[in-house]
Amino acid sequence: MQTKCGVFFESYREEARLLVGGFQKTRFAAFLLVLLASPWFLNNYHVSVLILINIAVIAAVSLNILTGACGQISLGHGAFVGVGAYAAAYFSFQGVPFLPGLLLAGIVAAVAGACFGIPSLRLKGIYLAISTLAAQLILEYVFLHWEAVTGGSNGMPVDSPSVLGFVFDTDRSMFYLTLIFAVLAVLAASNVMRTRFGRAFVAIRDHHLSAEIVGVDLFRYKLVAFALSSFMAGVAGALWAHYTMYITPEPFGITLSISYLAMIIIGGLGSVQGAVFGAIFITILPEALGYLADGLSGAFPEVSSYLLAAKEGVFGLVLVLFLIFEPEGLNHRWRLFKAYWKLYPFAH
Amino acid sequence: MHSTTISRPTDVLQRAILTAALVALALFLGAATAHGETVVKIGVISDLSGPTSTVGVPYGEGVMDAVKYINESGFIPDVTIDAMQVDYAYNVQQALSAYKKFKSQGMVALQGWGSGDTEALVSFVARDEIPVISASYSAHLTDPEKAPYNFFVAADYSTQLRGALKYIKENLATTDAPKIAFIYPDNPYGLAPIAAGKEYAEELGFDIVGEENVSLKAMDATTQLLALQKAEPEFIWIGGTTPSTAVIMKDAAKLGMKATFFTDIWGADENIFKLAPEASTGNISLQTSVTYDDDSEGNTLIRKLTNDQHKMVHYIRGFASMYVMAEAIRRAAEQGDITGPAIKDALESLRDFDPLGLTPPISFFPDDHRPNMAVTLYRLEDGKFVTLGTETLERKKEWLGK
Repeated sequence: MQTKCGVFFESYREEARLLVGGFQKTRFAAFLLVLLASPWFLNNYHVSVLILINIAVIAAVSLNILTGACGQISLGHGAFVGVGAYAAAYFSFQGVPFLPGLLLAGIVAAVAGACFGIPSLRLKGIYLAISTLAAQLILEYVFLHWEAVTGGSNGMPVDSPSVLGFVFDTDRSMFYLTLIFAVLAVLAASNVMRTRFGRAFVAIRDHHLSAEIVGVDLFRYKLVAFALSSFMAGVAGALWAHYTMYITPEPFGITLSISYLAMIIIGGLGSVQGAVFGAIFITILPEALGYLADGLSGAFPEVSSYLLAAKEGVFGLVLVLFLIFEPEGLNHRWRLFKAYWKLYPFAH
Repeated sequence: MHSTTISRPTDVLQRAILTAALVALALFLGAATAHGETVVKIGVISDLSGPTSTVGVPYGEGVMDAVKYINESGFIPDVTIDAMQVDYAYNVQQALSAYKKFKSQGMVALQGWGSGDTEALVSFVARDEIPVISASYSAHLTDPEKAPYNFFVAADYSTQLRGALKYIKENLATTDAPKIAFIYPDNPYGLAPIAAGKEYAEELGFDIVGEENVSLKAMDATTQLLALQKAEPEFIWIGGTTPSTAVIMKDAAKLGMKATFFTDIWGADENIFKLAPEASTGNISLQTSVTYDDDSEGNTLIRKLTNDQHKMVHYIRGFASMYVMAEAIRRAAEQGDITGPAIKDALESLRDFDPLGLTPPISFFPDDHRPNMAVTLYRLEDGKFVTLGTETLERKKEWLGK
């Protein structure tokens, strides 16, 4: 573990801590306090963006376990989010309370993920990408045609979440609810990476043959990675369904899967913190472009209209620029930034 | 690289200028409303850069031009409409953000766009009491029990198809049991009217001989058409968009098929004449508004506003959609209460309201949000829409929302 010069540990337990040292803990506590207080001084629009970020964080962190840590590329993550959303909507419709419904939604998504993860034993790289793309297409078909459960093309309404009689029907309350699950997801992902499972995932990603030689059961661990990742994706989907209160098959297409992949690439593959950065970046990007276009529309109407038209192009451009100039993602940049301030005012 | 945190004189000056500019802007905005003018904020969700931008741009332009006309003409006395437009690139998440943004800025009504965003917002608009007029015409949005704050100004997809079937059976069919087939994309939009269409076709005595899926992004439809060719349908429904319609019509012409195709409002607009000039000839396009070349009071106005620049049917529907909303705002203002619920009530009070002849007369009821039951059929000929006729169905209760 990289720490400041002079920091040392006297026990493994100490070394295994997520936050090392007083400054890191204070900094994180301050960040959490600001985050918790933010809905009280931000307007509903900004709070809604934070909610979308929370949901994106859960989905991105979960994909990061599968693709970043275990090396199993998935183009079907958006569909697994959809499975969770539909499962939550269905259980809610059947009268299952919110929290058990959320858990069941995660389990249904995990089962779906594990089923579609079976080919991963024999397939790698581009072949696996195509098989997960097939999962995406098959699940989209199911969303659209299994009308008894999904409502088909008309979609289905979902109730606002309610826990012990408290209904989360405002942006502010929904923010806190999604934040709790986002924090849990980040904690879970961080801890999984430090367990036998996490180490097995990394071993499979780095060299599957060596992993097998040292006793890693490839099939089992790959399935676990798919199931775990899909479980968390299902929870993200369930939260999305309860937040929007109405779901149709449209949002869970290939575009969503690609945007999750973009999140973990831009954030930094294999890093939980990177997935969080990526989720924030990709969710805020269109909003920021909108602000930029609004800001420029007064002074440069031409530029603003070009910017609007190029919005989708900008998304692609950002992705390409990151791959070229910052292949290790925002997380790497963050590490450099911290290192700079640790050494300041010296260069090395 | 690092920057010092000491404030330089230029920084202080910049901040002072920015503050002064903000104060001036606030004073200006305050002055703008100081003349007894009420500013009513509405949100406009448009697709200007996403997958449906080909039709989203003209529709959005129609909405914004209508706002401009309404403000300049004083259509609503002492009221100015402030339309906040956001390009959401057909991304539901961005539509949600845009909606929240509008909401925090005091929006009282919304001009929506596609299926994805309209349906994702159904519960939000109901909870926040924000009436929305969308360009997603799914029948289930017309049932106030399911979507109390959703409206649109065109007959829904199911009504369009039913109207076309009735007109065809009574005016174009050459046999008692004309053979019909359905081609549509396997997505929510494509599937929306199919069950209703098939049921009504059977009721009218059509012989349904086939059904095929052609994606909106299809480059070729020969396989599907070959399967249908053997059944020799006399009429084929295409529930797609203009590009996919062009592919189907061109492939059908290549195969020498004799069937007459008919499409819904998104299935054949003015671009069909560029994409399939010969193959589209003789086929039928359904519309729920007039086209630019028709004569109507609204068209005269639009020609004046646009300096005789030709506009697509989507522009006209966007214009009509905003005009109907403005009429509701005007009625709400007369009652002295421009709020979401008041605008909804005003919309539900419309009875055979004529939006300058741009669409058939519009009526909304508290328990029925179908604007009308009318669809106009145009034959595509030599780069022009040639009017065949308008079919108006009975407003049957059992068809509501289906």
